[in-house]
Amino acid sequence: MLRAYVELSFQSFVAIVSPLWGQRGWRLSALFSQMVSIGVASMPTVALANFLLGIVLAIQGAGQFEKLGATDLVASLVAFSVLREIGPLITAVIVIGRSGSAITAELGTMKVSEEIEALNVMGIDPVKFLVVPRLLAMIIMMPMLTVLGEGVGLFAGWLISVTTLHLDPVFYVQNSVAAVEQKDLFSGLLKALIFGGVVGTVGCFFGIQVEGGAEGVGKATTQSVVTCLTCMLAMDALLTTIIYFIL
Amino acid sequence: MSETTHKSPYALEVRGLTRKFGSRTVLSDISFKLKHGEILVIMGGSGCGKSTLLRHIIGSLKPNAGEIFIDGTEITKLDDAEMAKVRKRFGMLFQSGALFNSMTVGENVALPILESSDVAPHIADLVVKLKLELVGLTGFEHLKPAQISGGMKKRVGMARALALDPDLLFCDEPTSGLDPVMTAVIDTLTVDLTKKLGLSAVVVSHDMTSCFRIATQMIFLFEGKIVASGTPEEIRANPNPILRQFINGEADGPIPLKLSKDDYLKRLIES
Repeated sequence: MLRAYVELSFQSFVAIVSPLWGQRGWRLSALFSQMVSIGVASMPTVALANFLLGIVLAIQGAGQFEKLGATDLVASLVAFSVLREIGPLITAVIVIGRSGSAITAELGTMKVSEEIEALNVMGIDPVKFLVVPRLLAMIIMMPMLTVLGEGVGLFAGWLISVTTLHLDPVFYVQNSVAAVEQKDLFSGLLKALIFGGVVGTVGCFFGIQVEGGAEGVGKATTQSVVTCLTCMLAMDALLTTIIYFIL
Repeated sequence: MSETTHKSPYALEVRGLTRKFGSRTVLSDISFKLKHGEILVIMGGSGCGKSTLLRHIIGSLKPNAGEIFIDGTEITKLDDAEMAKVRKRFGMLFQSGALFNSMTVGENVALPILESSDVAPHIADLVVKLKLELVGLTGFEHLKPAQISGGMKKRVGMARALALDPDLLFCDEPTSGLDPVMTAVIDTLTVDLTKKLGLSAVVVSHDMTSCFRIATQMIFLFEGKIVASGTPEEIRANPNPILRQFINGEADGPIPLKLSKDDYLKRLIES
């Protein structure tokens, strides 16, 4: 199964870059409609989740820093944890639950109703036709959603600090900016990019290999969500290690 | 489609095709030939291997042994790219229609045309209209598959299968789940189109009325083997008891029903 997954991922990435050597280009209309359903439609949920997490982070942090008499540090805590970790992570969790599962269910239903076989018979490569627009949309939209999520998360932290913790609004912003480096922002976005690739390939893989009717689609969707979450967290741990200990 | 373009006198030839799933032999030493312009019906009960045979002919499955020639080209050893070329010359009507639900009827029929070459969209539109006219569905281009009936879906599937003017048409249970009138419509369409367009067809079916109505050649599969083959007249005259039971649709006969025969009471008590 792992081999089949690696094969599909390899084929997909080759298909993504194949326009470079004169192969037929991406299906832009399919790509845009996927970007809308994966990205644009996820924006409210991603924003809400990050907003709530930003609030929680600020309040939890304040509780601890108050004991030390250093409530100012809430700003830096929120800034670097949202940029480095919470933003990419929560955004990915939302996208997995919303769009990763939808991709598997959609492709699985197409497999069950012989649509994927019909593509093959028509001489149309299902990887180029179905997988590439979804994977590419995932890879493009995940960092964008992450930027949105991080912005909203930072705003929520600021809002709570200013209103309930009575921190100075300008001082908070200055503190935040001083606390983070460019590396924090870019490492978060790199994570999002890779999460996008993982969710896109895993979601499509489980969809395409569905067997056995409606039950098969249900099973594959569950497996897909669980696998996406696990892989995403494993990738997160790996990337964090590489970024903060090796680079 | 003219006679001169054919490489071989046979549109389809299968030699010694054998397929096993694990230790179970699903197809055993299947051989037959189909001349250009003929309609071959593959008959057989559920689970006899007829759909598996069709999957081999369209290249979705690879056999354990044997050869399949489509107009003289051996396809069992072709790679994906070469197979895609061969597939451009055939169309397939799937059991469920296999239309793409996210696209309209017109887009479904246009898909193989737009994908196979750089045809301008307005030319493709014209071809779509012509193909839908062939199956009697003019004016339905803008509906989604979910908005049309089962019989119409099959006809759209037929229009899509014919979109690239194939030499060879495959139909998997084209009449299953249709009422007798719609069955007759699909049958007439299959016969008319093969005659008009000069193509050959392979139809998998277990609907006897429909089989005899359209076939010029028939083979009857039972437990993965060809039990009888010939023209419809020969099949009608064939005394094979398995074939007779199938054609007449009798519950009693040599075909094992795999119904439980042991004592019901005993099983109840044991469990």
